[in-house]
Amino acid sequence: MVDWNDLWLFALPALICWAIAAVLSLRDGRQKPVYLLTIGGLLIFGTYIALMWHSLERPPLRTMGETRLWYSFFLPLVGLVTYSRWHYRWVLSFSTLLSAVFICINLLKPEIHSKEMMPALQSPWFAPHVIIYMFAYATTGVATLMALWQLFRKHGDLSAIDNLTRVGLAFITIGMLFGALWAKEAWGTYWSWDPKETWAAATWLCYLIYVHLRRCRPAEVRPALLWLVLCFLCLQMCWWGINYLPSAQGVSVHTYGN
Amino acid sequence: MKEGGLVCSALIVAGMVLQLAVGPVRWDTMAWPANIIVLAVLLLGITTMHMLRGKVQLFRWMATLQAGIPAMVTCAMLTVLMGVTRQVPSGHVPMEPIGITAMLSFWPFVLSYVWLMVLVGMVCMTRLCHPSWRNVPFLLNHLGIFIALVAGTLGNADMQSLRMMVQEGKTEWRAMDARHRVHELPVAIELHDFSIEEQPRLSYVSDVTVYTKSGIAVRDTIRVNKPLSVRGWKIYQYSYDEAKGSMSDISVFELVRDPWLPYVYLGIFMLLAGAVASPKSSPKGKDLNGK
Repeated sequence: MVDWNDLWLFALPALICWAIAAVLSLRDGRQKPVYLLTIGGLLIFGTYIALMWHSLERPPLRTMGETRLWYSFFLPLVGLVTYSRWHYRWVLSFSTLLSAVFICINLLKPEIHSKEMMPALQSPWFAPHVIIYMFAYATTGVATLMALWQLFRKHGDLSAIDNLTRVGLAFITIGMLFGALWAKEAWGTYWSWDPKETWAAATWLCYLIYVHLRRCRPAEVRPALLWLVLCFLCLQMCWWGINYLPSAQGVSVHTYGN
Repeated sequence: MKEGGLVCSALIVAGMVLQLAVGPVRWDTMAWPANIIVLAVLLLGITTMHMLRGKVQLFRWMATLQAGIPAMVTCAMLTVLMGVTRQVPSGHVPMEPIGITAMLSFWPFVLSYVWLMVLVGMVCMTRLCHPSWRNVPFLLNHLGIFIALVAGTLGNADMQSLRMMVQEGKTEWRAMDARHRVHELPVAIELHDFSIEEQPRLSYVSDVTVYTKSGIAVRDTIRVNKPLSVRGWKIYQYSYDEAKGSMSDISVFELVRDPWLPYVYLGIFMLLAGAVASPKSSPKGKDLNGK
């Protein structure tokens, strides 16, 4: 039986693997150790998630702390895919750093909650809905970091950012629609404009605008990059910001466990 | 893009005027058969504008990104505005004079989304005229959102969502809507037993028999996440007497009838298929609509 106290036992070796891989990836040439170390770290961290799932007797997806676990897991994964696809040498450093930040938050503030899950969350839709969203957050997170990098550096080619955003948008779409299908099963309405849903719609629209803007005005790089940062801010509001938003207090069905 | 921004600004102004003149949008007037008439007018309008696109430059422009992007930005801004203002429950009057606390009935919001859907409809027509495998992901996405949003919006007034409170051992056929009006339904529920199961997982369970006017009787259990479907009605476990907890001798059900749901689902599944297909279809090919 593992619990939050055991997180560092898994997180530390995983982070060491990812960090070494990130350093190695900064140099040209030898790519094999980069892949092996990143995948090794993913396996170690994935084992912890699996063990938590087992000891909680439910998917570890309910609290912010638990969703941060998935985020920490998916970031290096998305980083590795991006690295393998477009060979950005610095992307693994970024993803490792961000993953480390989220692991540290969990080590310092694990947000321990009971095993019990309220009936509405006991649905086969629950795990795919949240896991898909976490993957989308990780993908768009990496895209946003790359956008910030490009904003402060010389503007270059945006094709990697565009591709990551398109993949992220596809996952946001799937996560959102799974949420709608699940809501229909659980509450009888697929879309009730609850604050979380309103922000999900706004976020979805913002990313759609980015994709359309890139097709319409491919030469205008700076406005597009700034818009992408705005999209990610919108996503943060949707993910955790509404927990602090006065207009959403007490009316959202998405604030379980608070 | 500027023209698009102008049209959207004009829509917002027109919406504000309408809001002041006639008050918030009355969605309940959209019930059958008004919604099917509106749908026919919408589709006919889109088709006519599409056919006249050779003669009228405006209609040609409506299927471009230059028209679409400002429309999406306007919708996004109004949606964000909705996200930062506390909303009144649906069907209630707004709690301030402008109307943004009942955003779904706020004319500028409604007009912006209608405009966006008209543009999406126009661009779908353009692609439908050039049938090609390359257009499939595009059409899944655009036609998908068009169908889901139009069917969901127009069908909303036909959706009945009623609460029925049943006592153990009794049979009930009356239910209340959100405005506390009592409706007599063609289905009746007899509650045999309500219980709260704690093992293996917490769950609220109602043991019921559902009767219909045509004489069918269905005995089954209803739980959270496990609704029962009878004759177009979906019956959800909604609540119970929380003061009594597991000793509760009443169970509250939510009964939902949504005749437009299959079309909303069609749109949703098209969007899902589009999301799976889209990231692979690289936009490197020539854009049909860009200038």
